[in-house]
Amino acid sequence: MGALHLPPEVEAVFREFRTCEFTTVNRQGQPLTWPTEPFYDAPEGRLIVTCSIAFPVKVYNARRHPQVAVLFSDPTGAPLTDAPTVLVQGDATVTELEDDPPWSYEMFKESIHRQPKARSFVSNPLARRLFTFQFQRVAIFVQPRRILVWPRGDMVQVPTELEVRYVE
Amino acid sequence: MWNKALIACARTYPSGVLTVVEDSGYPRSVRCLVEFDDARELILISIPSLEVVGRQGLACLLFHRHNVDMSGQRELLIKGELHEEAGNLVLHPGDFLTGSGRQDTDRMPYAGSPMDIIRYMMLGRRKAREYLAKRGKPWTPRPWGKMLRYLDTP
Repeated sequence: MGALHLPPEVEAVFREFRTCEFTTVNRQGQPLTWPTEPFYDAPEGRLIVTCSIAFPVKVYNARRHPQVAVLFSDPTGAPLTDAPTVLVQGDATVTELEDDPPWSYEMFKESIHRQPKARSFVSNPLARRLFTFQFQRVAIFVQPRRILVWPRGDMVQVPTELEVRYVE
Repeated sequence: MWNKALIACARTYPSGVLTVVEDSGYPRSVRCLVEFDDARELILISIPSLEVVGRQGLACLLFHRHNVDMSGQRELLIKGELHEEAGNLVLHPGDFLTGSGRQDTDRMPYAGSPMDIIRYMMLGRRKAREYLAKRGKPWTPRPWGKMLRYLDTP
């Protein structure tokens, strides 16, 4: 699809927030929202979340019901001031993360940067072996279809809807 | 069913994230204030943005937090049905879910005791084996050398 055309404050939210609230919908039509670490794949204009193969409910839901939502409403840890709250509604595609695409290295690096204590964990071969399932992951790509923005995180206000536009 | 221990956890959060599913099929989430009615075993939702008011049906309410370095993670999800009652939005709770599977705390395993971590490891290994058995082939080993070297690239 190419890069998304986004206001800088929204792009900063995608890049800097440590968690998002990611929703899938199960077979019964029940929404299920969990805090999830997001990754913004800027060149492809998509958001990526991953989950361990040990806990794949999000994956099964997204395969069955590809309409998902990603809310960025908790700025804890993000080096931003007065960050907006952003809701992305998008279409999900799913792939097992086995072939090490270049962005997966960037995502790994970003994740360790956000959780510095995890560096010693991933550097320990025994820990990696015991927790192999943590590193066997499935990626859920979210292609934005609708983006709503609440300036300064003020959800009392009516949100601004951004046109989802890709850079030519 | 009303879970007193997890409701006590939920009370420690300043706000929660309510999610409904729009007619389009897309989920819609909003951060909101909530009040807990122990007598009626209901959760009253105060929606600052009026957009989800009137949307009744299946919904969920998430509470979560973490420290700036992502330690101390806690998460709790309440599944339920959203109703409008006398002009108020009310969540009738169904299941209470936590990231650790426990029904007495919202603390994630890594934020817990060594025993919590061991339980989590055993559960994760068992579940991963089930996934791989269904898949019918093993997972390709991770290229750890390359991955760790990448951490130090500028």
